[in-house]
Amino acid sequence: MKTGLVTSVALHAALIGIGLVSLPAPKAFETADVEALPVDIVPIGAITQMQAGDSAAEPADTPAPQPTERPDTVEDARTVGDNDVDLDTPPTPNESPRPVESAAAPPPEPEPAPEPDPAPEPEPAPAPAPQAEAEPAPPQPAPEPDPVAETIAEEAEPEPQPEPEPEPERVALPESAPVPQTRPEPPRPRPQQTADSDSAFDEDQIAALLNQEDDAGGGAQRSRQQAALGGERTTAEQLSQGEMEALRSQLSGCWNIPIGAEGADGLRASVEFSVGSDGRIDGMPRVVSSSGHRQFDESAVRAIQKCDQQGLRLPAGKAEVWSRIVVNFDPSEMF
Amino acid sequence: MNPSELAAPGGDLSIWALFWQAGWVVKLVMIGLIFASVWSWAIIIDKAIAFARMRTALDRFEQVFWSGQSLEELYRGLSEKKTSGMGSIFVAAMREWKKSFEKGARSPLGLQTRIDKAMDLALTREMERLEGRLGFLASIGSAAPFIGLFGTVVGIMTSFQAIAGSKSTNLAVVAPGIAEALLATALGLLAAIPAVIAYNKLTSDAGKLAVRMEGFADEFSAILSRQIDEKVAARA
Repeated sequence: MKTGLVTSVALHAALIGIGLVSLPAPKAFETADVEALPVDIVPIGAITQMQAGDSAAEPADTPAPQPTERPDTVEDARTVGDNDVDLDTPPTPNESPRPVESAAAPPPEPEPAPEPDPAPEPEPAPAPAPQAEAEPAPPQPAPEPDPVAETIAEEAEPEPQPEPEPEPERVALPESAPVPQTRPEPPRPRPQQTADSDSAFDEDQIAALLNQEDDAGGGAQRSRQQAALGGERTTAEQLSQGEMEALRSQLSGCWNIPIGAEGADGLRASVEFSVGSDGRIDGMPRVVSSSGHRQFDESAVRAIQKCDQQGLRLPAGKAEVWSRIVVNFDPSEMF
Repeated sequence: MNPSELAAPGGDLSIWALFWQAGWVVKLVMIGLIFASVWSWAIIIDKAIAFARMRTALDRFEQVFWSGQSLEELYRGLSEKKTSGMGSIFVAAMREWKKSFEKGARSPLGLQTRIDKAMDLALTREMERLEGRLGFLASIGSAAPFIGLFGTVVGIMTSFQAIAGSKSTNLAVVAPGIAEALLATALGLLAAIPAVIAYNKLTSDAGKLAVRMEGFADEFSAILSRQIDEKVAARA
């Protein structure tokens, strides 16, 4: 046993010794010095979507277009902000509005109207114009029951604009706005004003009724804010892939492929349609590129119309994109 | 082990350094495994020598036994020396034979039984001597990997705790602790593998030697039985 033990100890000692000498620390792996590559995850909307603004301006929290110069003070101005001082005599209060059958009030006019419209604008002080409706002194005699006059009067009434409304701040588009599942309710049809008065048909009356609203300029109000970085106009809102897919699945539910076209390959029709702000399709869907199969094209158009009847569910807040939607109808893709 | 040691990689990564910076449990395991390895190798070497000697002794004895020498002479020569293997079986049988005849045995059957018993006893003692300590090899072979694994688990546990303390999961921080823990498993395998191989080899060798000795014992028993019969016949 002694020999064995001695030999064993000697062998182990030798082995450990050899190991310590000939098995040195393993060489460290050579790794090239690579500089860290900065990677940003940027939503594509940051590039494709742009707010109106000034391309040379600094980025700002609230987007704003290029500011216009402050408008010149208007003498005898009646809107707050248009003049430097308050007038001594406030403008004559207008006669109290009489009930008008017009239900929908004209929307608040965004224009600050620096240049007063010459014709209907009541000039209070200097020119005692023969305009009956704005005359300050005598209370208007007998207001004619004529609806035309009424509406004209209503029209002429200057809207009391407390101050030139600053342009509603353009708020940054939220990345993911909650999408209402119901479409906006279409405005109710205006009650027919002349429905019952069929006895007296007058062309002028019609004209007066039709022109109840001033043309709205579409938000051309001057900006007084500091310009923010942006493009010339707000552009490029896009339906996301998911929203596009949702629309496609809606449409495919409405689509009845004509018999015989189901198995056919290469049938593909692009149909363009536009959706108004009420969520309804404006006009007829238009076939942009035909499949060459008339029934197939018509079925695609019918699908859109059927979905429109059921109510298209489109994401809210992307009205610009709705205005023109092109959908490709391809049996192999939509099912 | 403190985290700063772990967190400072790139230093000495030699085996000695790995051993030295291990925790005390791991160190204990590693030292124990090294001792087990030393002891098992000692047994292996010892047994290898003993088996080789036994084989040569058996060869020589068989040569002498079948050389035509008289049993009395052989017994006289062997009984004074320290014998092993077949020699001790032969001596045990002859001693019993002599004792019985010197005192005048009556029953040849009882004599035969006694001689067989004596030979069996000698054989068992020889085998015990041959196979002694082989059990340790078997234990090392089966237990050493587990002991090494235990060291590794404890080492990795400690190094993970140290990593948690150093608050960095960099691989350079993690690696030394794990390497050091794995050293315990390596040592366990280093001890176990030779032990298992040697155990299998030595048991089969011992089996072969046992068969050879049993064969000789049977043969010698037959010879003695014939002698007893002859003696009984001569007496009668």
